[in-house]
Amino acid sequence: MMNILFLQLLMSTMFLTLVSLHLTKKNFIATVSYAIQSSVIVLILLNSFFETKNIYIFIVILATLIVKVILAPLFFNRLIKKNAVVFSASTYLNAPLMLIIIAALTFIANSQKLTPLTGIVPGNQVLLSLALSSILLSLFLIINRKGALSQILGILSLENSILAFAIFAGLEQSIGLQIGVVFDIFIWIIIAFMFMSMVYKHFGSHDVTSMKNLKD
Amino acid sequence: MNIIIWIIQLIFVPVISPFCVGFIRKIKAKLQNRQGASVFQPYRDLWKLLHKDEIISKDASWIFTFAPFIIFAVTIIVGASIPLFASFLKNTLTSDLLVIVYTLAIGTFFLALAGMDTGSAFGGFGSSREMTVSALAEGGFIFSLLTVALIAGTTNLFAISHSGMFTNSKYFLSIALAFIGFLIILLAETARFPFDNPATHLELTMIHEAMILEYSGKKLALIEWAAANKLVIFVALAANLFFPFGIAETVGLGAIAIGIIILIAKILVFCFGIGVLESCIAKFRFFRLPDLLMVAFILNAIAIGLIR
Amino acid sequence: MTEIITSAISFFSLIILFAIGAIGSLLFRKSDKLANLFGSFFAIAGSLYGLIFSISAIISGSVLSFSFKLPAFPLLALSFHIDLLSEFFIFVISLIALFCSIYGIGYAKHFYQKYSLGALGFFYNFLLISLFLVVTASNGIFFLIAWEIMSLSSYFLVVYDKNDENNVKAGSLYFIMTYAGTAFIITAFLFLYKYTGSFDFAAIKANVGLIPLAIKNTIFILALIGFGTKAGIIPLHIWLPAAHPAAPSHVSALMSGVMIKAGIYMMIRIFLDILQPAPVWWGLVIVIIGAVSALLGVLYALTEQDIKKLLAYSSIENIGIILLGLGSALTFYSLNMPALALLSLMAALFHTLNHAIFKSLLFLSAGSVINEVHTRNMEEFGGVIKYMPQTALFFLIGSMAISALPPFNGFFSEWLTFQSLFMGIFQLQSFVQWIFIIAAGSLAFTGGLALACFVKAFGATFLARPRSLEVTHAKESPLSMQVGMGVMATLCLLFGVFSGYTATLLAKIGKGFTIFQNTVSPIAVASNQGINITNGFASASGPVIFILLVVVLSLVAFAIRYVVNKNQKIKIGATWDCGTDLTPRMEITATGFAQSIVTIFKRILKPSIQHEIEYHDVESRYMMKSRSVTLGVGDIYHAYLYKPLHKVINVLSTRAKNIQSGNINAYISYIFIALVVALLLVL
Repeated sequence: MMNILFLQLLMSTMFLTLVSLHLTKKNFIATVSYAIQSSVIVLILLNSFFETKNIYIFIVILATLIVKVILAPLFFNRLIKKNAVVFSASTYLNAPLMLIIIAALTFIANSQKLTPLTGIVPGNQVLLSLALSSILLSLFLIINRKGALSQILGILSLENSILAFAIFAGLEQSIGLQIGVVFDIFIWIIIAFMFMSMVYKHFGSHDVTSMKNLKD
Repeated sequence: MNIIIWIIQLIFVPVISPFCVGFIRKIKAKLQNRQGASVFQPYRDLWKLLHKDEIISKDASWIFTFAPFIIFAVTIIVGASIPLFASFLKNTLTSDLLVIVYTLAIGTFFLALAGMDTGSAFGGFGSSREMTVSALAEGGFIFSLLTVALIAGTTNLFAISHSGMFTNSKYFLSIALAFIGFLIILLAETARFPFDNPATHLELTMIHEAMILEYSGKKLALIEWAAANKLVIFVALAANLFFPFGIAETVGLGAIAIGIIILIAKILVFCFGIGVLESCIAKFRFFRLPDLLMVAFILNAIAIGLIR
Repeated sequence: MTEIITSAISFFSLIILFAIGAIGSLLFRKSDKLANLFGSFFAIAGSLYGLIFSISAIISGSVLSFSFKLPAFPLLALSFHIDLLSEFFIFVISLIALFCSIYGIGYAKHFYQKYSLGALGFFYNFLLISLFLVVTASNGIFFLIAWEIMSLSSYFLVVYDKNDENNVKAGSLYFIMTYAGTAFIITAFLFLYKYTGSFDFAAIKANVGLIPLAIKNTIFILALIGFGTKAGIIPLHIWLPAAHPAAPSHVSALMSGVMIKAGIYMMIRIFLDILQPAPVWWGLVIVIIGAVSALLGVLYALTEQDIKKLLAYSSIENIGIILLGLGSALTFYSLNMPALALLSLMAALFHTLNHAIFKSLLFLSAGSVINEVHTRNMEEFGGVIKYMPQTALFFLIGSMAISALPPFNGFFSEWLTFQSLFMGIFQLQSFVQWIFIIAAGSLAFTGGLALACFVKAFGATFLARPRSLEVTHAKESPLSMQVGMGVMATLCLLFGVFSGYTATLLAKIGKGFTIFQNTVSPIAVASNQGINITNGFASASGPVIFILLVVVLSLVAFAIRYVVNKNQKIKIGATWDCGTDLTPRMEITATGFAQSIVTIFKRILKPSIQHEIEYHDVESRYMMKSRSVTLGVGDIYHAYLYKPLHKVINVLSTRAKNIQSGNINAYISYIFIALVVALLLVL
């Protein structure tokens, strides 16, 4: 129902949320960006639902709405308040270098080389290349960030990007994908929550780099 | 007729061997300005030993008892399988060069075991030295016989002596080199100078004598006789494979008689040579012997390479 | 009837018999005796059936070929191709397995209450299954699976006696070397797959023309190193003297007699069957490797005091002799002399069979002695012939066979090998002829040195006076062990005496190869069982030699004992002792026996001697408390080949360790970069 332009707008929003996840220094903004991203996904799913009238998609939408848009950011915010010590949202690379790499990754995703991948559904090529760049950016986010919260957000946005890619590549029809996504989300959130509390209890901080001491 | 020839072939070596040993001793005695014992003395020695009692060590096992018989039997078989006075005989069964080499090795094997069996220090050392020399001599032995085999185109000893390869002078150098190699091996395997002194009983110098030190009576007679047989076997091989002149090539009483006489003459020439050699040089130090054996091997290898 | 015996179902029932033995053994592991009997019984039954199968298959000349495709795995197919060569190897395996299993019933009693006999039965039967599969598999992946099973089960058998730490170390060395070899084999198969498009041996053989020559040479070298590691050629042999002594004796016999021949089987299969036509230098390389292995193997055997290590080195020597035959077969075929190539192949196969028989016999008898005296060190044996006369007789027959003394079987296979080398010298020219001359020289010396080695082994173990107290408590082995050894000793004699008949069968097996199908047989067996090589070049007859020996020996013995001097008195006295008391210290030791040869070959063996003296008073150093002398043989393979390799691998690994920084971000960035690069490359 929604035409291509609106979908492109949605994807661009998602892309921008990712960029903001990269650039922000405060965790709160990161959580908000994640919430926006998830609502984008919900809207895309709604679009897909209206096109195919598949009841399962509706269930998935509901689940995604509840978990990703509402509950997850709430969890994260509570975490931030509970462990209100210094939440390191720092990065390895400085801002200009980061932006250059982001630009390079986007360029690669949109390039001719990757056309066989992004050309799976020729009509949605722009959307697919945006989704692919989101995937690459999420991975880069995980690499670049030092704090555990940012990394988990990175993984979750990776999931979102892959879901978007799958929808635009025409794969959303398989029930297994949908159920899998829901289940995955649910478990992920629970684990993330427990993991974060445990990590804080053991190490006194959420800085993942301190785990280097485990090596020897 | 054939039966008679085979019987002569069979008994020739054991009958003539004590005579050859006696002959060598006589030559050595003459060169030492002595009269020396009669050339038939070894026969009398064998008779004496066969009629004596024996003492066997209580540490010895059945190997000690059986070894002399095996060693003697082996020399009889090999003696019957080599070309002696007749090259027209066809023996395709046991007359192969490798069969000869390894059948003689059976004798060496049991002799060495018998030396170790009584647990005396002399026997053990004798076995050790004998196996060392024998192991290194085997290469030269096989290769020297191989040279003439390759020239004649067959490894059957009777056929080699029949082949008349001396008519072709281009093989002369190969045959000469192989002959020198074979001479060295002959001295090694028959326990003569410079490898071993057959008349010594000093622990520093004896090899063959050390292994048979514990033997007495009939068994000693068999072993001494077997050693003499081995001497004649090697001399006959040297005579007939490298200088096959005069050997009977056709069936006929006259040819055979001439063959026997010429063979005895050749054997006596070789024994004379050995006697003179033993009087002229000293026994080598043990660790110089491998060098000599390797020289024999290399000469033979060169001889093979020279065959065109 | 023959059709039923030699059918596919029959072959599977063979495998199933062993499988029942394996699983049953494991099920009954609670009861030692039951597990032992069950496992051994089915192993014996399987081996007997294998013998019947292979003999009827060889005599009827049948070739079996069947395969099962597995839809789940496109490249793997359980395909079997049992041609005459495989049937020959099945015969060898079954024969040795039969007697080792019979021996094992009595031998395993030694392990009751100490280790799990269920595990022994399980791994033993699995080893046998894998051996059968290795020689009949016709698909590359299936072959590799069977090879892996063989390596794993033999590893567990090597470390079976866990209490001795040396055994565990030997097992680790064996494990690493086997897998290094397997890596080379896998690479060779991958190359074959790439150029012919299939893992199936028949398909590869049909498409061998598609492989360029450079790749063929590479495959040759890879396969030579891979299978050579299993066979134990020098310098890849370092695991053999460690692993074979560590295993239980009947397993050592099986490993030494049969498992290393699996490497030889594949070499024959790949070089003579699949990769033909081949360049000349392949055969020459194998001849040289064979000559070197034979000579060095026997030299190292002479330096050993551990009787099982001595036998292990002797196996290396005999593998060298088999390779001489194989190499000359390759050379002759590449030079267009198929009759001679067939002769050399027959020599190699005959020596494989003979070595399996007499080496197993030697290991089994050595195992009996070790069982009673509880040590492997020959310096503590001595005089065992009085306590274990039958074992001594069997060991003597084994020693005579391995030293190639007529009329035993070892002589005839070495005779055939010699004859093929002689024919090579006779008919070839220039530098190929020189390689054959060197090979013949090496074989001649090896024969002599092997004789010396086994005089030492037999003499030091069985003759003279006992050197330790344990020997005086030794008892003869139980009946099952004696039966196992006795029948093998008889086989040594029979295969020697009936070598003519065996040679005809081997010629038939050789003609089963595609390349030899139209070749005239190089031998003719006369009515008196004399083997004649073509053109009357050579001939020898097994039965005649045997009969002559027996007849002359009896005549001489009769004449001397009963005709000459019937009244001779034989007194038993002491060995001449020069007036002192006779002690075991006066006998020659195994070390002393070989010392002359070691000194002569000191450039190759690099013997070393170290003195350590402990004084009562360190200051004055006059009165010695104890003095020890350590004699050693230099290990040039470790110094020049394995240590440098080890050092390179260590350096590379330490450098590579830096990748593991412990930082999660680093690891994920590796994944990321890999993903991007993969995307860019593939698309």
